[in-house]
Amino acid sequence: MMKPAQIIAQATVYALFALGIGVLSTRPSYTHFDPARALIKVSFAHGGEPVTACRKRSRAELKALAANMRKASICPRQRVALRFELSLDNTVILSETLPPTGWRGDGSSKIYRRIPTTAGRHTIVAKLRDSRRDQGFDHVSRHTITLVPGQSLSIDFKPAHGGFIYE
Amino acid sequence: MVVIAWKDEFCTGNPAVDHEHQQLIHGINSVCEGIHDGPPDDETRDRLGDLLAHITAHFALEEAVMREQLYDEYQPHKDDHEVLLDHIRDIMCAYEAGVFAGRREDFIKRLGDWFGGHFGTLDARLHRVLGQAPDPVAMKISKIDLDQGKNEINVLLTTHGK
Amino acid sequence: MEFLKRPMKFAFLWLEGWFDRFFGPKWNPFYCLGALGYYYFWIVAASGIYIFIFFDTGIPQAFTSTEYMTHDQWYLAGIMRSLHRYASDAMVVMVLMHLCREFAFDRYRGGRWFSWVTGVSTLWLVFSAGVTGYWLVWDKLAQYIAIASTEWLDWLPIFGEPIARNFLASSHFDGRFFTLLVFMHIAIPLFLLFIMWFHLQRISYAKVNPARGLAVGTLAMLFVLSLVKPAISHEMANLAEVPGVLNMDWFYLWAYPMIEHLGPGFMWAFAGGGTLLLILVPWLPPKKRRPAAVVDLKNCNGCTRCVTDCPFRAVNMQPRTDGAPFREEAVVDPSMCVSCGICVGACPTAMPFRRASDLVAGIELPDLSVAHIRAQAHEAAVPLNGKDRIIAFGCDHGCDAAKLGINNLAFVPLRCAGMLLPSFIDYVLSKNLADGVVVSGCREGECHHRIGNVWVDGRLARERDPQLRRRVPVERLLKNWAAPTDRRQLFTEISAFQARLRDLPEDDAATRLTLVNGGKTDGTETSETAA
Repeated sequence: MMKPAQIIAQATVYALFALGIGVLSTRPSYTHFDPARALIKVSFAHGGEPVTACRKRSRAELKALAANMRKASICPRQRVALRFELSLDNTVILSETLPPTGWRGDGSSKIYRRIPTTAGRHTIVAKLRDSRRDQGFDHVSRHTITLVPGQSLSIDFKPAHGGFIYE
Repeated sequence: MVVIAWKDEFCTGNPAVDHEHQQLIHGINSVCEGIHDGPPDDETRDRLGDLLAHITAHFALEEAVMREQLYDEYQPHKDDHEVLLDHIRDIMCAYEAGVFAGRREDFIKRLGDWFGGHFGTLDARLHRVLGQAPDPVAMKISKIDLDQGKNEINVLLTTHGK
Repeated sequence: MEFLKRPMKFAFLWLEGWFDRFFGPKWNPFYCLGALGYYYFWIVAASGIYIFIFFDTGIPQAFTSTEYMTHDQWYLAGIMRSLHRYASDAMVVMVLMHLCREFAFDRYRGGRWFSWVTGVSTLWLVFSAGVTGYWLVWDKLAQYIAIASTEWLDWLPIFGEPIARNFLASSHFDGRFFTLLVFMHIAIPLFLLFIMWFHLQRISYAKVNPARGLAVGTLAMLFVLSLVKPAISHEMANLAEVPGVLNMDWFYLWAYPMIEHLGPGFMWAFAGGGTLLLILVPWLPPKKRRPAAVVDLKNCNGCTRCVTDCPFRAVNMQPRTDGAPFREEAVVDPSMCVSCGICVGACPTAMPFRRASDLVAGIELPDLSVAHIRAQAHEAAVPLNGKDRIIAFGCDHGCDAAKLGINNLAFVPLRCAGMLLPSFIDYVLSKNLADGVVVSGCREGECHHRIGNVWVDGRLARERDPQLRRRVPVERLLKNWAAPTDRRQLFTEISAFQARLRDLPEDDAATRLTLVNGGKTDGTETSETAA
């Protein structure tokens, strides 16, 4: 038979354990992101052009190949690195060269960046070069938006959908 | 010479049990052979100690077999083992204290009684029930006589029906 | 690592002493932390199965179905949800405390590496299960976890596309994802259950259920907590918004702020490196591995007592190999043997009364034989004199009686109290090596080798083989389980015992007889005393 002191002690232990669980399961709260600010997320996965142009095979080359291997042109596997630039209100905030992934450099280039910024009206210019050119950009997009506090704006790039997508 | 002679009727059909029973009888015989009317000696103490170890191990094995076979009278049989172990310790301590000084025959008889009672009753039933006895015959050790002339312990068996 | 373990061990011992007073040793939660972990797992599973019935996959169904359970069916599903959360939090506490305790008490070396390593693997599973559970709710907290988890995983160069892109915007996110998440949240705990079973494979008599009083108390505690503070969700997730202020469950989500502030690479190093370090703990110095028990077939008749008593399943029975007429022999697996010697304490041939030259037990520790222990007992007796001579048999891990400064006491150390065959007590007293025998070892519930003191309790109470002989005068025997922090208690007990010994009459134990008249064993007894 338990003594009263033991019952009280056990109840106290249970209460303290419950308190610990109850408190630590929600407190202290954590501020992941300043609610007064906004967030721009840039992320896309896109493959650039092959590093050199494809070349047509000559008749002699084709003849030398087995019948099932006679592909008309030879294209290099390696792709060019992408060049990406993002400006916010005329200030370049992101400027990166994105190498292709994969052992042979034949995969997509990818980017994922989080850029906290102030809420309010902003002009965003996104530029992307995915060809073999040395200068300039192949895709340029200008977007004006009013960001509310706590908003998350995502910038994606999908050629099939017309290029840059702002969501 | 004091001896318990092994007899074929003692066979249970279980080689391990028979081996240990023979070992125990040999142990008892060694103790009885060495006993004398003088004060306690180390050799007899050692032989009694060895006998204790052998019987403890034998009982442990027997209990394992009984549990494995789900023997219906496991607990009373086990209880008797514990009593017997207590008794052999009593015999050892009595010997140590010189209780049996000059009472050699008493000692031999006590040792014989100790062994024979359990062996002839509970063990006999056990081995009959487990189907290990060569014939399903109840064997009972009806009496243990010390033939003083020959210094032999005669173990008389009485056979009963099934 | 001793600098780390010593304070932990003494902290545990101190706390456990107090909890022994509050709960009693049978209900002390520290002695069944693992079992409590298992128990909380079952509460989590049962409550999880219930709320699964009402949970809907899809957007917004994941959130709305959870809200329904929490508010509309608060009296049942809501309580189940809260029980589910709080029991899983409690499980984390038990798992971590269990790990710390086993570490502090050095219970991971040698053959025990298996339990340790399998236990470490459960950490990843427990945390993954919890994280996927929070993810399912699809509130702002779930959104935060989803993005943070995928960003962390994206640090590894194994994904073609960043998987965090799945949570870039609403158009990227498919309600079908919840089907996958539900699968994960069921599959991970199922695998955890398998590992929990696996964790026990090299342990016998594993304690997987806490004492009933403790189980009832802790369930009541969780139930009350669920009523007082129901588990609720944040606002529904919205990928067009950034989760701001979050009420974190720190039991499961502590790593996420670390990822944010210290970087994903650091967290991978911490988690990966930390796991590797934990796994390697059994092999880190100082390595002390004693030789495993060995079987002597001449003295082994295959009685199986060593197998029955071994706490680590290191002994098993196999067909006889030496031609002796016995069916089986004991075989020791050295990789699993921790050299505790409990098997020796169970062996009927470890009998100190045997002829000295032949004293080899059926199973022995090569570096601490029965013959050696007997010789030590004799040696220990030499300097003792008077009416209160004590020989104390104690283990390496309990309170050291030799250091208490008690006069006329000699100490015979054993690997574990369970190594002591009760015949040794009979031997010491009947040979008049001492007036009293003390058996000491780890505190009840704290046996370093799990159940050595439990076995001793049973053997001395004549409830477990090998049993203490009835002729042993119990007034000359003191059994006291004491931790290294219980010096004062052990000192007091032994001193009082010694005083009682001085008052006992000259013992006729040597001549006490309980012989049955005429050798009858039919239960009728008469006693004879010495002439």
